[in-house]
Amino acid sequence: MKGSNTYYYRESVSLLLRTKWVSPYLLIPPMLAFMVYAEAFLAAHGVAGISTLGQRTVLAIWNGAFLLALIAGIKSCLFFSGTWGAGWFRNSLALPVSRSSGYWGVYLAVLTVSTGVFILTIGAVIAALPGPSRFPLAHIIGEAYLPVIWAVSMGAFLGILTSGTGGAFFFTSLILLGFAAGLPLISIPGWLHFVIPPLGRLMTLGMRYPQGLYQVVVILVHSALFLVMGRLMFGIAARRK
Amino acid sequence: MPPYISIGGYSDPPLMTYLSVEVNKGEMVVVAGPPGSGKSNLIKSMAGIRGFSKGSMKILGSRPWTLRSRQETVFVFQNWNFLPDLPIRIQLERKVALYRGVSPRTVRMLVDRWCDDVELAGTIDRYPGQLNRSDLQMLALAPVALARPAVAILDEPMVNLSSIRVSSALEIILSVLENGAVLALAQGRSPLVNRADRVVNLA
Repeated sequence: MKGSNTYYYRESVSLLLRTKWVSPYLLIPPMLAFMVYAEAFLAAHGVAGISTLGQRTVLAIWNGAFLLALIAGIKSCLFFSGTWGAGWFRNSLALPVSRSSGYWGVYLAVLTVSTGVFILTIGAVIAALPGPSRFPLAHIIGEAYLPVIWAVSMGAFLGILTSGTGGAFFFTSLILLGFAAGLPLISIPGWLHFVIPPLGRLMTLGMRYPQGLYQVVVILVHSALFLVMGRLMFGIAARRK
Repeated sequence: MPPYISIGGYSDPPLMTYLSVEVNKGEMVVVAGPPGSGKSNLIKSMAGIRGFSKGSMKILGSRPWTLRSRQETVFVFQNWNFLPDLPIRIQLERKVALYRGVSPRTVRMLVDRWCDDVELAGTIDRYPGQLNRSDLQMLALAPVALARPAVAILDEPMVNLSSIRVSSALEIILSVLENGAVLALAQGRSPLVNRADRVVNLA
């Protein structure tokens, strides 16, 4: 069959797997594994007054998710903006591929690479823990994956809206606010959660026990909304110049 | 039979104020004009990646930005349109595969054979930045040679070619005419002008 809707996906994955894009991601799993291992070692020797193994597990997973979301978001902004703004990409819209895949294919490529690193990160964290946790890990991991989806979706929106650096700066502010707003000492008006994603709230709730369906829904809606807005702007940008 | 390419009353001021041209099967038409006369904008409009203020365009009876017309049309833009960060081989194979719908192995074989024929076998595994302009321009014509398009629309396809490559490039472009049509945008002194069935001069 002529034409293909995976063209942009494959091009983007090839670009993303180059060393300069992958190397920052690959620092995350060993860094976190070391943190978890060191924490367990210190706790075993009475240096750190750490809580239960279950809580340490959850904290480690959330640390991983946070770091990864931050890096994935910044890199997404730079990658999306660089790709969609490039001359080769614009001219490649003349190839026999669906124009829509120029948006979704690139988005899915970034999400695939970020998900791969997320799996590596979580695997490294769990491997570094001294024993099995009694917490329902699947649930926690599922919740911790949401910030990664949100980061890539927001990166897609900002990547089409503005320059890579500007988008990365705005994204960093937003994700830091999103996490900070969930900390016990910081309270923000409820309506602001529609602008700032309740990532921190999801994390603090998850620390006690997996819960926070409302936050899950809000983050997913947030991601979907920005993703669709990005797609609409992509459609407009593809015909304007 | 309707024309393969039809442009009616195209206008993109201030560069190009009026252009009407039809290209039939087996014909090569050259739109000739000096640099800055709007040729590159015209090819982008035909590819559906740039708006224009007036006129109509059809390729194989469809509007140019539809998937149907793009499946049978190869566009060669000025400056080759290669991604700087991937080897030429990957880029060519993926592009050719979009048109031919054959297995990756067959595509690889076709690309290798073609590169041998045009004496570019040594360049295919390199990155665009490692090649000279003439080789890049020639490699940009690979989809024209290998995709068997019904329509080829080319923007200055000869401008960067070294003299030893001109005849090979002409041969590739003329091979489209067996089953299709060619619209080339070029400057007045291009070798394409002498081989064209018609030349439309821009003011």
